[in-house]
Amino acid sequence: MRLRLTYPHGYVQKPILAEAIIKLGVPLNILEATVNTKKGEIIVSVEGPEETVEKVVQFFHEKGVGVEKFTYILEIDEGKCISCGACVSPCPVAAISFKPDWTVRFDQEKCVGCGVCVQACPVRAIKLL
Amino acid sequence: MVSMSQERGRENLKRYEDINARVKRGDAVVLTAEEFIETVVKSGLEKAAKEVDVVTTGTFGAMCSSGAFINFGHAEPPIKMWHCWLNDVPSYRGLAAVDAYIGATAMSESRGFEYGGGHVIEDFVSGREVELRADSYGTDCYPRKYIETSVTLADLNQAVLLNPRNAYERYSAATNSTSRTLYTYMGVLLPEYGNITFSGSGQLSPLYKDKGFETIGLGTRIFLGGGIGYVIGEGTQHSPQNQFGTIMVKGDLKDMKPEYLRGATFSKYGTTLYVGVGIPIPIINEAVAASAALSDEDIYTNLLDYGIPSRDRPVLRKVSYKELRNGKVIVNEKSVPSSSLSSYKMAKQIAEQLKQWILEGTFLLTHPVELLPAYREVKPLNLRRAEPKVGDVMTREVITARLTDDIKDVATQLIQKGIDHLPIIDEGGKLAGIVTSWDLTGALAYGKKALAEVMTRKVITAREGEAIDIVVQKMAQHNISGVPVVDDENHVVGILTTDDISRKVVGRRFT
Repeated sequence: MRLRLTYPHGYVQKPILAEAIIKLGVPLNILEATVNTKKGEIIVSVEGPEETVEKVVQFFHEKGVGVEKFTYILEIDEGKCISCGACVSPCPVAAISFKPDWTVRFDQEKCVGCGVCVQACPVRAIKLL
Repeated sequence: MVSMSQERGRENLKRYEDINARVKRGDAVVLTAEEFIETVVKSGLEKAAKEVDVVTTGTFGAMCSSGAFINFGHAEPPIKMWHCWLNDVPSYRGLAAVDAYIGATAMSESRGFEYGGGHVIEDFVSGREVELRADSYGTDCYPRKYIETSVTLADLNQAVLLNPRNAYERYSAATNSTSRTLYTYMGVLLPEYGNITFSGSGQLSPLYKDKGFETIGLGTRIFLGGGIGYVIGEGTQHSPQNQFGTIMVKGDLKDMKPEYLRGATFSKYGTTLYVGVGIPIPIINEAVAASAALSDEDIYTNLLDYGIPSRDRPVLRKVSYKELRNGKVIVNEKSVPSSSLSSYKMAKQIAEQLKQWILEGTFLLTHPVELLPAYREVKPLNLRRAEPKVGDVMTREVITARLTDDIKDVATQLIQKGIDHLPIIDEGGKLAGIVTSWDLTGALAYGKKALAEVMTRKVITAREGEAIDIVVQKMAQHNISGVPVVDDENHVVGILTTDDISRKVVGRRFT
């Protein structure tokens, strides 16, 4: 499960994420972080059952950090895709694989939105929204 | 050679005429190569070879040496086309007045990498309108000087797909040892052996299923782009003795299907055409059967390092199509993800389609007029003219500094000698770093005093024997304007700057 954490202005300097990891004992993997003058935004992934995820969501809420569940939206035009596989091995998180019938399959849950597949696709069947 | 070609193609199990008679009667035994492999495992090669008439194959991959001959018909008043564009993609015009050849890798003058000749062919086959633009110098017989209109496939007198090199028997797999992402005709190659790409359908590969070239030759009827095509000879770079055989093919574009002819782009490389090819292999003798029965685990290729920008890329290891298709290949004790660039799903579909055509009795096999050569020397292009190397262009009187030198003295050196790059050497005279005028500006700005603090330690270098173009590419990649030239022991023997290159090389090429 991935979460988008939005830190309001003035919260960026507080070590809230570190506190969450220490206090809850839940490993949070930072996938992307952007900080500017207005706010901070961090995309983290949380591994574990739903209660764990809920605990993490609750914690950030209480600290005043915005939390929303987050998925990258890859749009694959199945009419265009030729299932060649050019996007499969470049994907850094193995979100793209082959089905037993050699059709290319995308796992939205694993995707980290890097966009390497968009460039790798010879028939331009992939769009990152 | 003559006796060799006579020996190939012996019909001691079945004759073409007998196979075709069974196809017409509807009782021929036709299997896809995948099915044939299973049959051989179950009932043995000898029995399978006797019982099976035809094995069908397929491949669907990027085939850059592809294109189409087109005849537009004459306009009123008529034109002798000189330059000609189809959807802004330039076509070859060294032919008669309204004949053209649109090549798969020709790129749009407005859309570049995103649209090319391959896409034009796909658009034609899809029935779409294609913009035609041409100019001319005007002649007494062809007075028109300019034409702009649109055409569809149905409007064309002839549209013949004619591909000089298709269906490589197998192809080398690719990976990348460097620290940057490479964009190649083998797709995106991630740094530090991040992934492996490969091409070809392995156990379904048309030419590998007759690796002795006993049945494929001039006149072999094939599945081409969803329609009927013919092998018209060996393909360019045909190297059958190394299992890198290729074929030249042609077929009527008007009978083809867009599903099997797809325009494609390899980012930062260029455009191409994915072509569907399927060849029926008549099981005329046991050697042909043995070849048709080869599976992915019997078919090997070399894994090459595309990080080396040379004709002779180092072979990292031999790898089977089975390992490649499994998606994990061990390189230097590390498991590296692998994936294909050609579509195995489509390759299966082509082999299946071709099987259906034969079973329906609508596709008969042809006896080749002449078999393809079973041996061909592959020659590199040797350069007959002297081409300057780094050693010919570099400045040999290189001014260097010592690590212990005062930063102010170094700055003085740069100013007095009018140079921008100063290699720093250690006590042993070996390269330790480099300082540029820009670094010294930084030192001034941040109040740094020691040379060691200012210099770049990870120096991009060149060798005397290196080609200028390779070093130019290296400089552009690292956004630098000069490289120290070093010997085997890392001693500085010269320096090569963009200034040297523009004065001594570019001037020579373009003036």
